[in-house]
Amino acid sequence: MKTRKSLLFWYAILGFIVLMTVFASVVAPYGPNDMNMDNVYGAPGDGHLLGTDHLGRDVFSRLLAGGKVTLTVASVSVLLSLVLGVLYGGISGYIGGFIDTIMMRLLEAFITIPSLIIILAFQTVMQGGMWGMALIIGLTGWLVTARIVRSEFLRLKEAEFVQMANMFGTPMWKIIIGHLLRNSVPAIFVVTLFNFAGAIFIEVSLSFLGIGIPPAIPSWGNMLYYAQNDILIGAWWIGLFPGIMIFITILAINFIGEGLKNPQRR
Amino acid sequence: MTAKWIGKRMVMGTIVLLIVSFLSFFIMHAAPGDPATAFYGGNAQTLTTAEKERIAQAFALDRPVLVQYGVWLAETLTGNLGYSSKEGRPVATILMERLPNTLLLFSVTLFFIIIGSIWLGTVAGMKEGSLWDRGLSTFSIATSSIPAFWLGILFISFFAVKLGIFPSSGTGEIGGDGGLVDKLRHLIMPAAVLILTHVGIYARFLQESIKAESRHYYVMVARANGVAEKEIRQGILRNASMPYLNYIGMTIPSFFGGSIIVESLFSWSGLGQLTVKAAMTKDFPLLMGGILWTGLIVVISLFIIDLLMYALNPKLRKGGVR
Repeated sequence: MKTRKSLLFWYAILGFIVLMTVFASVVAPYGPNDMNMDNVYGAPGDGHLLGTDHLGRDVFSRLLAGGKVTLTVASVSVLLSLVLGVLYGGISGYIGGFIDTIMMRLLEAFITIPSLIIILAFQTVMQGGMWGMALIIGLTGWLVTARIVRSEFLRLKEAEFVQMANMFGTPMWKIIIGHLLRNSVPAIFVVTLFNFAGAIFIEVSLSFLGIGIPPAIPSWGNMLYYAQNDILIGAWWIGLFPGIMIFITILAINFIGEGLKNPQRR
Repeated sequence: MTAKWIGKRMVMGTIVLLIVSFLSFFIMHAAPGDPATAFYGGNAQTLTTAEKERIAQAFALDRPVLVQYGVWLAETLTGNLGYSSKEGRPVATILMERLPNTLLLFSVTLFFIIIGSIWLGTVAGMKEGSLWDRGLSTFSIATSSIPAFWLGILFISFFAVKLGIFPSSGTGEIGGDGGLVDKLRHLIMPAAVLILTHVGIYARFLQESIKAESRHYYVMVARANGVAEKEIRQGILRNASMPYLNYIGMTIPSFFGGSIIVESLFSWSGLGQLTVKAAMTKDFPLLMGGILWTGLIVVISLFIIDLLMYALNPKLRKGGVR
């Protein structure tokens, strides 16, 4: 009972953040790139709820617009890695045998490479902006999904109802989609949630380093990039709020993931 | 048996390094401009056309990509990683200077993370349902949700700017003697950030696996037969350490990714900061070298963990699963 309540609470938090960022253009009092050179480094309050940054831009408005970018990049990349992971894991798990062994060895090798380094390297060559970023994160993020899908498929393939379906001569695609994939949905959903948190982490980290989303587009990571210097002159609000938003978003995702994960285990 | 097992692991590690090298080669290949320029970087402008031709021939640039890769790989294996395009010094020399710092940060943080998580995890796992048990779960989720670099920013603004106890960045005082004490003072903040954001998840994993282990039948039987509680604990801990070690091995790559960001934030002059800088300045030879070496470090640490597991787990030693 207690977990249900806390789950609802975190759903509400995450939903609120998503809604606020989706309707950023309506909710935000200023445009994300509206500069006001008369009011740089304005402290929170006094017309600007969360203060202004080094160009006099409203931090609150930028926070909402930035959230939209960050969450869009994370969502697109997660969708991409979901598709890739299901395909790879599904093929490996369904066919099994020798091909499965080869595919899994390859996967193990990929998993050992720190994905951040690969993304870093690709960013230098591609410099593709927001969509390029989503593409790269998606291309490097499907490994765990594939592993989960594969083990689910292996397990379900031996299940009695699948054997039965096989015996009745159910077509292959129906077994794969209707039985194997459908019964793996809960597990896939949980791992996708954690992937989502991971994608946010990567976008934020890279933009923070200045090699992620181009500086012209506000994102939570980009805002922190400038905050590094701003904090040294005492403008703490520029760095504090994006960080808190990232923290709460990831916290909500993690709690939801944990809440969904536990009942299934037993 | 042991030799065969070690051989298998080494083949695996080699494959990983091959993939990494392949990727880094293609990054260089995809880089704008011709590879000879990328390889010689800043010095390239002084080259004449004839010299360029000679270089192109020496590195097989007039032949198919795969041949180029082979030639490049052979060159890399002999230790020639090319010259940094910004500094003009051999990449291998630059990397060598940075390696000790990275290894220092890596080993210190990993040491404290392992000690801390074993302590927290054991205390919480052995007392199921206690305040410790529930508290640790929440604590670990909360701490692992904090972006490490953001915590670093907060630390800098508080400890360095406001209180002025610790230096905000660097690996040593400028003009200092570069002694151990000086280095340790600079190490505290980056290490603390990494430890704080990671110790929770590892502790939680150990806690979960101890809890799962305690539910096993053999524990109940041992308890019913009056085996001393201390011995039971030891048994549980030993069995629970297997998945824990495995988990550490699995997360080392991502841990390394996190430490790269923290290194750059604190200007800790290690491999990670170097790689990021190389990526930003498009210093491709240096970037490739950094990537290769990072891959090498990860592979070696995974190998060590595998060896540990092999030594601790009789199932692996006697040629069971895998």
